[in-house]
Amino acid sequence: MSLQKCFEIILKYWPSFLLGIRTTLIVAISGTAIGLVIGLFVGGIRAIRLDKTSPVSLKLFKRFIDAVLKVYIEVFRGTPMMVQAVFIYYLVYTNIVHWDKMVAAIFVISINTGAYMAEIVRSGIQAVDPGQNEAGRSLGMSSGQTMMNVVLPQAIRNAFPAIGNELIVNIKDSSVLMIISITELMFQSNSIAGTTYRFTETYFVTAMIYLALTSISSVVLSRIERKLNHTRTSLPQSDTNAHSMAIARKGADYADN
Amino acid sequence: MPIIEVRNVRKSFDGMGVLRDICFDVEKGEVVCLIGPSGSGKSTMLRCINLLEDIDAGKITVLSEDISAIRDINAYRRRVGMVFQQFNLFANKNVLDNCILAQMKVLKKDRKSAQETAMEQLKKVGMADFAKAYPSTLSGGQKQRVAIARALCMEPEIMLFDEPTSALDPEMVGEVLSVIRDLANEDMTMVIVTHEMAFAKEVADKVVFMDNGIILEEGSPEEIFNDPKNERTRQFLSRVIKKEFVS
Ligand SMILES: Nc1ncnc2c1ncn2[C@@H]1O[C@H](COP(=O)(O)OP(=O)(O)OP(=O)(O)O)[C@@H](O)[C@H]1O
Ligand SMILES: [Mg+2]
Repeated sequence: MSLQKCFEIILKYWPSFLLGIRTTLIVAISGTAIGLVIGLFVGGIRAIRLDKTSPVSLKLFKRFIDAVLKVYIEVFRGTPMMVQAVFIYYLVYTNIVHWDKMVAAIFVISINTGAYMAEIVRSGIQAVDPGQNEAGRSLGMSSGQTMMNVVLPQAIRNAFPAIGNELIVNIKDSSVLMIISITELMFQSNSIAGTTYRFTETYFVTAMIYLALTSISSVVLSRIERKLNHTRTSLPQSDTNAHSMAIARKGADYADN
Repeated sequence: MPIIEVRNVRKSFDGMGVLRDICFDVEKGEVVCLIGPSGSGKSTMLRCINLLEDIDAGKITVLSEDISAIRDINAYRRRVGMVFQQFNLFANKNVLDNCILAQMKVLKKDRKSAQETAMEQLKKVGMADFAKAYPSTLSGGQKQRVAIARALCMEPEIMLFDEPTSALDPEMVGEVLSVIRDLANEDMTMVIVTHEMAFAKEVADKVVFMDNGIILEEGSPEEIFNDPKNERTRQFLSRVIKKEFVS
């Protein structure tokens, strides 16, 4: 393998790589975001514990929904995304509508991610102190109101590292979506390698790009995480001078150094 | 008619009787202290009154309603405030938001009037200066005072306290008890589970001694503390009062 060849490939094919990066990011980011929304719904519903006094019909309905959701989660976590992609793409293409490949790719990665997110959200909810729920209920809030305003925000904050990890996984694993010929990074690399016959160099460049994308993402994610934790530990101060106090303290820390 | 009427209540967990034929009354404006050894069912009794647990047999009538027949549990809970041993402040909300959330969601107040009520109650418990602070930055005593203010914001007709000072460092017990004392002076109807015997003696109109799921003795603080009839009550009191002297 020659590094010089690597640079030549980058110089000549950077627009193709850039297009690949763009598609990969679009698919990974939207798939993670939509997957999170799916996960919040599915995980949230699965975490609901009905009151003992709820009507029997509601309890049966909940059981049924739980079973359906469980099947969804098991199927999508238990089969390769590459298989899911071709199967769903062709299933819809031949039976329903000639859909766009990009739409298909985002659809597949979203419901795949949703299955993982549902479990992340559910265990995040279960990790929240049950006393939080009881306090909400004892004030007269419904279980839905308590879930939305108290439990879920804490669950998301606790589960944030795992949620962010899904983005990183998706940046890498979206590469299997090349199977339905979207122009993501792996697909572009294949065609570059096919033209240049420089397989080692091309895929080395590809690997470095993936590494850069995932590294940048984890830096951004840990920044966000720190922000989230900051609000929880803000200083006890009256009114709005809490913020200026925080800044003043920061200044003092710097001065110490 | 008593504001809380507990009649022949039974409750068991996994076949183990935790409440075994409990009867007692709370009159309007009365302060009833529930005392007894650990595991005797005091928390379970309070939780049944607030419908956090349901009873196996018997009847609890609160505010002239049979609570097992209540349809709108949330509207009922709003009228019966509850304060927990572990405070249970909403960790994702600051002190002020802790106090306004349920006002807006349950009482459908707008933010401004909810804030006014909240600040008023926080002032009463001496926590107005901490309105913007998050629970994780407060001491135990401060958290418990906020939890009391939060419950009071719903304008409850009854307050239930489950060992409000048991999770506190000794130097913070006083500040919480003094808030509860103020409430007693305002004639709030209260049921207080407590291990603070001196406090019970001071604020209670009636003391109920529970042991092993049954009420062994009840009466005025003078009767229970100075002249307990039951041997078990005597043993229990001499044990906890000895402990109070030691600490
Ligand atoms: N949800 C539950 N499931 C099973 N057992 C329970 C449950 N809640 C309470 N118990 C049991 O019921 C008994 C009475 O508990 P309870 O909490 O009412 O006692 P307590 O008088 O409040 O005690 P303490 O002073 O320690 O708080 C205990 O033996 C406890 O283990
Ligand atoms: Mg208890």
